[in-house]
Amino acid sequence: MFSEWELKRYKRQMMLFGDDGQERLKKAHIFIAGAGGLGSPISIYLAVAGVGTITIVDMDVVDQTNLNRQILHFDRDVGKKKTASAEEKLQALNPDITVNAIDVKIDESNAVKLVGKADGIVDAMDNYPTRYLLNDVAIAKEIPLFHGGIRGFYGQATTIIPGITPCLKCIFPKAPPKEVFPVVGVTPGIIGTIQANEVIKYLTGCGELLTNRLFIWDGMQAHAEELCVERNPACEACRGITTKTPARTKK
Amino acid sequence: MTVKIRFFARFRELLGTDIVTEVVPGTMFTSLITTTARKNPAGYAAIFDEKGAFHEFVILMKNGKRIELTDAAKTPVVDGDEIAVFPPVAGG
Ligand SMILES: [Zn+2]
Repeated sequence: MFSEWELKRYKRQMMLFGDDGQERLKKAHIFIAGAGGLGSPISIYLAVAGVGTITIVDMDVVDQTNLNRQILHFDRDVGKKKTASAEEKLQALNPDITVNAIDVKIDESNAVKLVGKADGIVDAMDNYPTRYLLNDVAIAKEIPLFHGGIRGFYGQATTIIPGITPCLKCIFPKAPPKEVFPVVGVTPGIIGTIQANEVIKYLTGCGELLTNRLFIWDGMQAHAEELCVERNPACEACRGITTKTPARTKK
Repeated sequence: MTVKIRFFARFRELLGTDIVTEVVPGTMFTSLITTTARKNPAGYAAIFDEKGAFHEFVILMKNGKRIELTDAAKTPVVDGDEIAVFPPVAGG
């Protein structure tokens, strides 16, 4: 049930997916791995859309060099924990949702527990080792992984439904070397918004998901395209895994 | 015969993209990319290691189908092929 306030808050999107869609958003729990460049737009848009429970995990402190892109964090937040800053902003945007901000490094020992009973994982990480770990958790729990990555003016995104679509390791079997990557804030803005859009479609059951396709954004050319991606039958992460329930009938 | 090479992300910054090039029949995937990448040393180093092998994270596709790095040296390109070469984009 929605309060009068909520009905007004969500009025314009309930024109798109009805009370039923809004109810699904409210009942949903989404896990966002990272409160940085991608995590900022993802969490902001999921919060204002009314995703009922958002868990957001980050281990960092806000640094001046984050401010060009990590729009959850303001100038005054430098030195503060990203999780504290994120929780404050997301709750201010929408007090009707629950925000769990967890200040921890995601690793093998805690990943499964952190994700808990979440309905989906959003990849807002900045490194492949942690992404592979989230990929394993998504496969084990049979929940989607909404992948995004950025560098400079370039970005990529895809929606992974374990057992149905290629997993992250099918598409990218080996991690690139770690680097301090150049980036302008609009790039995670674009890619993170695409990821949030995927989450909303997945939860409400509308539209076509970005599955079996790698979306590629070239901001320098203002050109978007997609590459078809396929499961690797020999993939070390998802080999032999099948899902009988199509993702869209979940919930 | 001609083929088209498409680079993405960092590879594109260094080497450009949509490179249409004339090749002789029997040219292998790896040698085509090697020759093309040599035009810019930084571009070459982004894709290949010191021994001239593809960095293990590089993704290759031919007409939308993935080519394993280990198969690229013995995979010939044919007229009209569209070849994609890209790195995983890692930042967040
Ligand atoms: Zn896989």
